[in-house]
Amino acid sequence: MHQRVLAASVGIAALALALTVVLLAQVPAAAQAPKAATPAATKPAPATKAAPAAKAWTVPRTPEGVPDLQGYWTNNSYTPLERPNGVTKEFYTLEELRQVEKKNAEREEEQTTPGTVADVHYDFTQFGLDRSQTRLADNLRTSVITNPENGKLPPVTPEGQKRAADRAAERKKQGAQYDQVQNIPIGSRCVWMNAGPPMMPPGYNPAYQIVQSPGYVTILVEMLHETRVIPTDGRPHAPAGVRSWMGDPKGHWEGDTLVVETTNFNDKVAFRGASENMKVTERFTRTSDDAIRYEFTVDDPSTWERAWKGEMPFVKIGGPIFEHACNEGNYGIANTLAGARKEEKKAAEEAAKKISTK
Amino acid sequence: MRRKLAVAITGTLLALGAAPLWAHHAFSAEFDVTKPLTLKGTLSKWEMINPHSWFHIDVKGPDGQVTEWMIEGGSPNTLIRLGVTKYTVKIGTELTIEGYQAKEATNKAVGRNFVLPDGTRLFLSLGNAVPGGAPSEPTK
Repeated sequence: MHQRVLAASVGIAALALALTVVLLAQVPAAAQAPKAATPAATKPAPATKAAPAAKAWTVPRTPEGVPDLQGYWTNNSYTPLERPNGVTKEFYTLEELRQVEKKNAEREEEQTTPGTVADVHYDFTQFGLDRSQTRLADNLRTSVITNPENGKLPPVTPEGQKRAADRAAERKKQGAQYDQVQNIPIGSRCVWMNAGPPMMPPGYNPAYQIVQSPGYVTILVEMLHETRVIPTDGRPHAPAGVRSWMGDPKGHWEGDTLVVETTNFNDKVAFRGASENMKVTERFTRTSDDAIRYEFTVDDPSTWERAWKGEMPFVKIGGPIFEHACNEGNYGIANTLAGARKEEKKAAEEAAKKISTK
Repeated sequence: MRRKLAVAITGTLLALGAAPLWAHHAFSAEFDVTKPLTLKGTLSKWEMINPHSWFHIDVKGPDGQVTEWMIEGGSPNTLIRLGVTKYTVKIGTELTIEGYQAKEATNKAVGRNFVLPDGTRLFLSLGNAVPGGAPSEPTK
């Protein structure tokens, strides 16, 4: 009926590593959706031609006259943020991409060994949580990162290294992960998970809806129920003291591209170790009826020696997106904390027993 | 204190970043690897909620006594996208759950496998929910 393939010796670390690699292997869009379909390249064919070429695609526009990005989209993908070690080229061929996707899909379907820590979860495949069970936004790129050209994050500055060490020390002072609810990761607490910017695939429920109205582009993020409201009316950023989880986005149009610059982050998300001074510039370009090219630049001189860039496609999916309401049923937090207290109590009782029998 | 807290949260997020993205939480912190179990019962309630759905099942003991168990399953959103609705699994459906009991030791568990009486794993018997079988083209 089902096979449990992974040996116990593989262990959680290896599993996590494998999955992270899988996760990181994601989005080569630009190569797939070339920049050819620009209005400038769409001269009408002479009427005299016997077999006229198919009508060239043009960017759809809203009544306001700006490019229409509206619809339901996904960035579901196996392309990693950083290029895997051992891969030296920038792009896979389509055949190679299909092989990578196949391998990752098979890994997701593998069953864990009963009685191992890795086995303690519900079966992701049964719940449709394997990435291969949702439409993939095919990306021929071998990494999301396009610059530096080696596909890796730039070196961390001394200031960034010190911040990481300070954060680690502070974390240690706060106690173990299940000592108090505040120590539990923000994703588990339903606060924030990959909504961006930059908008990285969340692993499951990778669904977005873009809605436009005059002066605004709004992105609804299914996971964990976030909304990015982006004004495009030229207003300035909020004052420096105003900080938020997803920052303060301001958009404008450059030709057919929506450019969104986001600043004013708080220091709680700390994307890849970034500081609250991070500035993210995103570029959304509709490249076909079916796809948006998504490019981003992360600029945080106090964390990385240079700005770095990434790119992935978003492709169409059927709607609607669904409410996630993550806190509504997050029984796991209470269960976990209660479990940790129970284990502590048991350990204390056993320790007391040892003392009394001495 | 405020500063301290922010740092702690950040740190834990970084830790999360190293885990599979599916892992909304650390399963082995909530459930006990040393307490595997197999439960046979009938579905009495299905909470299709996030971040994890919960299946309530009535389990009849050897003495005829019925005990209710709560079993954690996956987020309903992706299931719905694959065509599963709250009517797909009817109340009263017989289920065998292979899983692990919660560390807090009440009648809660994670369902490693949800198996129907004919031996098929729940949801995978749906034509379009087979791995790799999801529609690759967008629906209009």
